[in-house]
Amino acid sequence: MTDMAVPAPETATVPPPGRRQERPRVDRVGYLFVAFFAVPFFLFNILPVLFGVYVAFTRWSIVGSPRWVGTENFTRAFADPWVTVAFQNALLYGVLIVPGVSVLGLAFALFVSRGYPLSGLARTLFFAPNVVSATVIGLVWVWLLDTQFGLVNHYLGAVGVSAVPWLTSTEWSLVGVSIASVWWDLGLAFVLFLAALQDIPADLTEAALVDGAGRWQRLFFIVLPQLRPVISMVVTLQLISTFRIFSQVYVMTNGGPAGSSSSPIYYIYTMAIVRNLFGYASAIALLLFIVILILTLLQRFLLKERA
Amino acid sequence: MTALLTRVRRYMDEHRFTLLDLPIWLVGMAVAFAWFAPFVWMVSTSLKYPEDVMTAQIEWLPNRITFDNYVKVFEYPVVRWAFNSLVQAGVATSLSVLFGAMAGYGLARMRFPGRDGLFALFLASLMIPTEVSIIPMLLGFIKMGWASSYQALILPSIGNVFAVYIFRQFFLGFPAEIEEAARVDGAGPFRLFFLIALPLARAPAIAAAVILFTLNWNNFLWPLLVTFDESMKTLPVGIAAFTPVVGTRTQLEGFSVAMAAVTILSVPSLALFFLLQRYFIQGISQGSIKS
Repeated sequence: MTDMAVPAPETATVPPPGRRQERPRVDRVGYLFVAFFAVPFFLFNILPVLFGVYVAFTRWSIVGSPRWVGTENFTRAFADPWVTVAFQNALLYGVLIVPGVSVLGLAFALFVSRGYPLSGLARTLFFAPNVVSATVIGLVWVWLLDTQFGLVNHYLGAVGVSAVPWLTSTEWSLVGVSIASVWWDLGLAFVLFLAALQDIPADLTEAALVDGAGRWQRLFFIVLPQLRPVISMVVTLQLISTFRIFSQVYVMTNGGPAGSSSSPIYYIYTMAIVRNLFGYASAIALLLFIVILILTLLQRFLLKERA
Repeated sequence: MTALLTRVRRYMDEHRFTLLDLPIWLVGMAVAFAWFAPFVWMVSTSLKYPEDVMTAQIEWLPNRITFDNYVKVFEYPVVRWAFNSLVQAGVATSLSVLFGAMAGYGLARMRFPGRDGLFALFLASLMIPTEVSIIPMLLGFIKMGWASSYQALILPSIGNVFAVYIFRQFFLGFPAEIEEAARVDGAGPFRLFFLIALPLARAPAIAAAVILFTLNWNNFLWPLLVTFDESMKTLPVGIAAFTPVVGTRTQLEGFSVAMAAVTILSVPSLALFFLLQRYFIQGISQGSIKS
């Protein structure tokens, strides 16, 4: 209503009582303003998704033309033990990374939000790993987690723990990649918690203080309930991004040893690039999309339920 | 001395800093420094002689330093990779900020049929993980003969919804009087946008630019897939090849060269973050909480 540019003189002078007869202005040029964004958006964000649905039903490689194979790629995916391993690993990554990121992110945010001296510096240090590339994360942690000379095993050895083969054994490789991922991903959760903590009305905590609530009581009865929506959001966002885990895996372990740290995207990557099976890779990608969509809708539903 | 003590006292009173807070503060700060320590270790290792790297003794500060590892990194085409990264991240970021600003302005300040539907569609598309479309997109680029090209590196990242969102939010709160005045002066929509609205949108522009630049600079999966040519790799993809698979030269060189390479790679994003962290943190929390 505010940006009526050229009001017709009649309506401006005698508005009928209770009913405003403004003819809404139509800015055709608005389409042009949006088009610069919308055209690449449709070409590179939407079209490939639709194209991908088609590719998933074909056999297609870099050379040659597509051949329609119906649901063959999907039946094959369901029978492929490595697909099962990849999705199971995604779940295991979720079990390790999501609580790690959420709990530590919340703890760090609670600490920084207290406004102690140097808390600005602490905020910078906690967030910093989030801005560097997967290559940095991967290589730094391959070095830190080195079985023989890595810092982690060095300090574990100092307290009597024998050397853990973090990235070179089937038992530990997924844990090793998860540790690096928590370090990398924490920043986003941390910042979201920090923003939410600042949004808690001050009189709420003041009132609790006046009532003589201790710090643990304030945390459990005031702060955490107020943070419920953001906790739910962080958990979902992190779960989705964990299901999409790829770069760290690629840099640190190549999915190995023996597929023990593989992930859905890593397997899709191998099928497309190494095996040149674009149709099959697209079919697995579609399955991953469905899993992620279900997770997203589940979170929306749960949030609405509570509100 | 007593003056200092009273100042500390007053500070503690003002900030409700009790004796119980002291251990919390000490532990918290120690954790914060430990959290950053891997970066220190990275730089420290990159300055060591290879024979000083794989040692039983931990040397946080190297006894003797060398820049040989950095020289060795430049035996690879890192300058070319850095140039590619700069072109890719620079162009993609500029275009997505500009287009995002235009679309955000159009969606916030203009009225046309389908406007809100379009915006809802843009937001809904955030639920689609990019990885779903990446294999078919790769196929498309290969078929068009665009693999290993700058357009392949740049085009897919310019339709960025985050930029649209952050500008729309800003322009929704934009004072209508300014627009009115400009219209009365006879300014058309483009002059209005480029000469008046955009220059006033500095804060969202910087926030979008730093966040998207970091995102584009760090982009990994797509450049990895679409560059078959060694000379068209971006810095993160090129340097990822320093991964020490047992038996390769990195293993023999004992991580010092790899750490020099990742130090070079992390400096631009860390520097940008340290200088502009206010924009980073505000932009990210605004962008994700509301959507």
